[in-house]
Amino acid sequence: MAKKTYDLLFKLLLIGDSGVGKTCVLFRFSDDAFNTTFISTIGIDFKIKTVELQGKKIKLQIWDTAGQERFHTITTSYYRGAMGIMLVYDITNGKSFENISKWLRNIDEHANEDVERMLLGNKCDMDDKRVVPKGKGEQIAREHGIRFFETSAKANINIEKAFLTLAEDILRKTPVKEPNSENVDISSGGGVTGWKSKCC
Amino acid sequence: MSVANSSHRAALLRVLLILLVAQNLARCQLTPAPVQICHSFHCFGEMCYQEAEFANQIAECEPEEHHCELIQLTTVHYMARCSPRCEGEIGTSYSPCLLANNSAPSPGPCSLQCCSGGPLCLVLSLGHLTIQEDKLVLTPPALVRNQAVQGVLCEGDSRQSRLLGLVRYRPERGVQEHALFLYNHRRMAITGDDVSLDQIVPVSRDFTLEEVFPDGELYILGSDVTVQLDTAELNLIFQLPFGSHTRTFLQEVARACPGFNPETPDPEFLWLSRYKCTEQKPSQRGWNSASGTWPECTRKGEDQPSIGGGGSWGGALLEAVQAGRSERCDEELEGADWEMSAAAGSRERDPAGGSQSDDLRPDGKGLLVDQSFRGQDKPDSLLTRQNKSKSEITDMVRSSTITVSDKAHILSMQKFGLRDTMVKSHLVQKEEDYTYIQNFRFFVGTYNVNGQSPKECLQPWLSHGIQAPDIYCVGFQELDLSKEAFFFHDTPKEEEWFKAVSESLHPDAKYAKVKLIRLVGIMLLLYVKQEHAAHISEVEAETVGTGIMGRMGNKGGVAIRFQFHNTSICVVNSHLAAHTEEYERRNQDYKDICSRMQFCQVDPSLPPLTISKHDVILWLGDLNYRIEELDVEKVKKLIEEKAFHTLYAYDQLKTQVAAKAIFEGFTEGELTFQPTYKYDAGSDEWDTSEKCRAPAWCDRILWKGKNITQLSYQSHMALKTSDHKPVSSVFDIGVKVINEELYRKTLEEIVRSLDKMENANIPSVSLSKREFFFQNVKYMQLQVESFTIHNGQVPCQFEFINKPDEESYCKQWLNANPSRGFLLPDSTIKIELELFVNKTTATKLNSGEDKIEDILVLHLDRGKDYFLSVSGNYLPSCFGSPIHTLCYLKEPILDLPLKAIRELTLMPLQTEDDGSQLKNHMDIPKELWMMVDYLYQNAIQQEDLFQQPGLRSEFEHIRDCLDTGTTDTLSASNHSVAEALLLFLESLPEPVICYSAYHNCLECSGNYTASKQVISTLPTFHKNVFDYLMKFLRELLKNSAKNHLDGNILASIFGSLLLRNPAGHQKLEIAEKKKAQEFIRQFLYNSP
Repeated sequence: MAKKTYDLLFKLLLIGDSGVGKTCVLFRFSDDAFNTTFISTIGIDFKIKTVELQGKKIKLQIWDTAGQERFHTITTSYYRGAMGIMLVYDITNGKSFENISKWLRNIDEHANEDVERMLLGNKCDMDDKRVVPKGKGEQIAREHGIRFFETSAKANINIEKAFLTLAEDILRKTPVKEPNSENVDISSGGGVTGWKSKCC
Repeated sequence: MSVANSSHRAALLRVLLILLVAQNLARCQLTPAPVQICHSFHCFGEMCYQEAEFANQIAECEPEEHHCELIQLTTVHYMARCSPRCEGEIGTSYSPCLLANNSAPSPGPCSLQCCSGGPLCLVLSLGHLTIQEDKLVLTPPALVRNQAVQGVLCEGDSRQSRLLGLVRYRPERGVQEHALFLYNHRRMAITGDDVSLDQIVPVSRDFTLEEVFPDGELYILGSDVTVQLDTAELNLIFQLPFGSHTRTFLQEVARACPGFNPETPDPEFLWLSRYKCTEQKPSQRGWNSASGTWPECTRKGEDQPSIGGGGSWGGALLEAVQAGRSERCDEELEGADWEMSAAAGSRERDPAGGSQSDDLRPDGKGLLVDQSFRGQDKPDSLLTRQNKSKSEITDMVRSSTITVSDKAHILSMQKFGLRDTMVKSHLVQKEEDYTYIQNFRFFVGTYNVNGQSPKECLQPWLSHGIQAPDIYCVGFQELDLSKEAFFFHDTPKEEEWFKAVSESLHPDAKYAKVKLIRLVGIMLLLYVKQEHAAHISEVEAETVGTGIMGRMGNKGGVAIRFQFHNTSICVVNSHLAAHTEEYERRNQDYKDICSRMQFCQVDPSLPPLTISKHDVILWLGDLNYRIEELDVEKVKKLIEEKAFHTLYAYDQLKTQVAAKAIFEGFTEGELTFQPTYKYDAGSDEWDTSEKCRAPAWCDRILWKGKNITQLSYQSHMALKTSDHKPVSSVFDIGVKVINEELYRKTLEEIVRSLDKMENANIPSVSLSKREFFFQNVKYMQLQVESFTIHNGQVPCQFEFINKPDEESYCKQWLNANPSRGFLLPDSTIKIELELFVNKTTATKLNSGEDKIEDILVLHLDRGKDYFLSVSGNYLPSCFGSPIHTLCYLKEPILDLPLKAIRELTLMPLQTEDDGSQLKNHMDIPKELWMMVDYLYQNAIQQEDLFQQPGLRSEFEHIRDCLDTGTTDTLSASNHSVAEALLLFLESLPEPVICYSAYHNCLECSGNYTASKQVISTLPTFHKNVFDYLMKFLRELLKNSAKNHLDGNILASIFGSLLLRNPAGHQKLEIAEKKKAQEFIRQFLYNSP
């Protein structure tokens, strides 16, 4: 019973156009709740959640970013250090899907090279308003060699699965380490410095 | 695998003398006595330790005798006494083996010494080993002992005991090297020279010592830890005894490994060279070679730490291996007398010399460790009764289903975060949510065997008439009364009785041995039904001696604690002081056991567990409480009448418990069997010896805890081996069993709630406003927008932080005040965003290269980031616009579309007026003309012109008039207009005398012709402005009688505005300033 509370810390990032439901996806995963009122995220928020995978306790620190275009240059600076990035679009919003390739380019430019990526087509409960067929999502994911899920934060479809899958993929790439390994920072707790550490 | 207990069995040391002194030391450290008390006796052989009444008189020492001295006169003759000196009587014919002093007023504890002239020595203590590093300041230079453990070296089928000692060498601060010293040791190793160096393994970069799990063998709780030692040259397998001791050792070794940091130099191990000779002469290995020394080594140098490398180091290791973790003495190891003790040691040896091992000794007591486990090969009648052979038992143990995982990790795991502690404490709090009570049957038995070997089948005691219990707790006392058992903590009886018990366990079930623990004659065995083995964890065993001098193991207790499912259980077997009148001693023994029995916890940061900190305590043993106040015949008569109730009243245990002197909170079942002591061996007859002891219920079983039901409590008259009868009790004990699903659920809830807590502890604030619009921003006109930060429940530090690749957190024209701060929970702070466009930022805003647009990042330390958007519109102004742009602006600047301004502002400055551009221009900016003309009209005689400041409000008015072309409405003081003119010149992005001409001007300063030449090279508009201004200034000077201006004043004011250093606003050198003034002055006094 005397196990460590968590062995690893994974930093995940949610990106995608404004209004696709990134915050709701995170809220569903972290608090298992959903809020219909839309409050645009103006800034960077994060939550933690501890999960157990393959007998390892993993602390996920999930960063939610502002999706509005005017913040893009700033938000890309948060990509660095993320081990996994969830790129979210809205299946009822064609524009958000078209922007996927732009977001992917952003990842290429700003994220760590070995970052684990995942594509989510959110709001899949709203099938009557769907404008992006599932196949298109699958296709672009296939082209880029990344995983794809259609999710619904509202109906709680695939949310947990998506996060766990992403964490598992990261875990698979993480070399087996002794608990005391220093490669993984387990001491920082909720410590977040943004890019502050770089400059001052 | 059952080598597990070889640490108890293996003949490791323990000279009575050493122990006595050590115990004495330890005790006195605990309770310093004003008067020294020492044992004082002469005794021979077993008499010395069997019963206190035969020896061990206590004597009060004379005032000047501060030391206790113990002397071994011959191998069987011992003497103890008070002594005035610590050094012993060196030079006398006998060997003063050990001495100790302990109390004031003598100068510090005088070490004991039976060891050597070397720096190290046998130090002692009961129990296990831990070494204190701080006493390592000893010689030789920086050579220290860290840890040692006794283990079994496995090579193929061979098993040999080795002492493993981790030795650290620290030649200087910050540098250290380690080596693992492996020692052979003589079976009943007592002193350092019973130990010989086998080999040294340097802890180099390729050194690893890791726990391994042999294929096909399942991990058994409490079983040996198998470790593999690997270096480039070596591959050795050791089995180390289970427990915290080994754990510590492995951790120490792991810490000693140099790692792969390339910064640290490779260890060189030069210090090991002095031991090389022993390595080079493997043929001389062994304690018996050349009387245990290697002359060629001993004579190498004074600083050698050892006789033959093995001697004193080995001795230290012996001590290390057995040293107690609870009581330790900080002996100084000086003045040691190695030679003498070595001599004593050699006297002790078999005179025949060459014998390789003690199994050849005539008394046959010293079986080799490995051989002792093959007892069933001997033609022993024991084997015929059994229905299970030893090997079967072992197999069962092997096949039990405990997995390796957890314990193995614990070995290397040290970090326990706060979160972990919280999870654990929550789990304890919510235990009821995920556990249910399930009854398990416990068999508890106690048997004082009076030093006998098993001669009868134990089944009547252990398994007749009962269902197969889930757990067996079987305790023995007086297992072995021989000298060896006492001195050397080694007895073949352990194996014999272990086997006898194992063979007589209930035939309907298979059992796995969990643990065996023994202190001299007190042994406790714990078995579990094989199917429950997986639910036993955290097994620890400890011993407490309360015998001779309050510490020796002839009396005392042993205990095993473990976790069964989720219930913690402690089983104690004790043998308390004898004799009817000694009940107070028994009470004290009980209390000592309770207070001194301490179990290490898995988490080393937690304090050790005591007996009382367990859910269930089962206490068995020969408690030795007697029936008093009745004469023997009366007792026997009452027994015959089965009038046990009458007898209870006289039972000391009952009366002492009733008086709450002992066993508080414990319960004992009703005694429905006749006293179990004392019988003539082999019969059911009461003691017919001379002493004719009165019968007594010596052997008892008590319990404490919830959900315990005693099903039976009885003696077993059928067994006649001993002068005691065995007692047994069967319990149903309600154990907290984990419902895995509920446990997972509870754990999940706890983790969720901790996550929630952690999320709630992320600093978070609310902002009254996030979007800021600054409307109609004008040149040099401050605009302020404010907002409040309202903090949540977590104290937090906030700060506006720089965006990537930017040098400040916002644009130059903006400022947040304050830009950082600290907020208490629920507190509020007002932040003002101040927007101010000055000469540095105006031009780009005019041109549209910059906009009133910015995003500020408000960062909370350890928390979120908030983006604040700033936007607005800037009203272009003539201030900050280039001269040539203004010359093309025929309309007021604010009447023009932004695009036109932008184009004109970005238009390159032409040095040659080639006329290809717009023809439609003015010679000088109309705004300049307006201001100068105003001054010419109104201020030509104004005193202090350019020297008295204007009014801010009037400046804004002037600016607006200029920018909107409404100068006819201009009404402002002369000073304000004058200042506006200066500001206008100052805010020109390119000064009137272009940057490129700056150095030329300074050079020609003083040469008017050359100066005029430089001016003529200026772009037309600039030249026009310069000429115009000079003309105006000359006009002013004409009125100097009225306005008191002179050339110097004007030159100094305008010099720095018209001539600006291209390097920016660095502080100008006075010489440079002077030259600039002089340059202007020329034009003030000369007409062109």
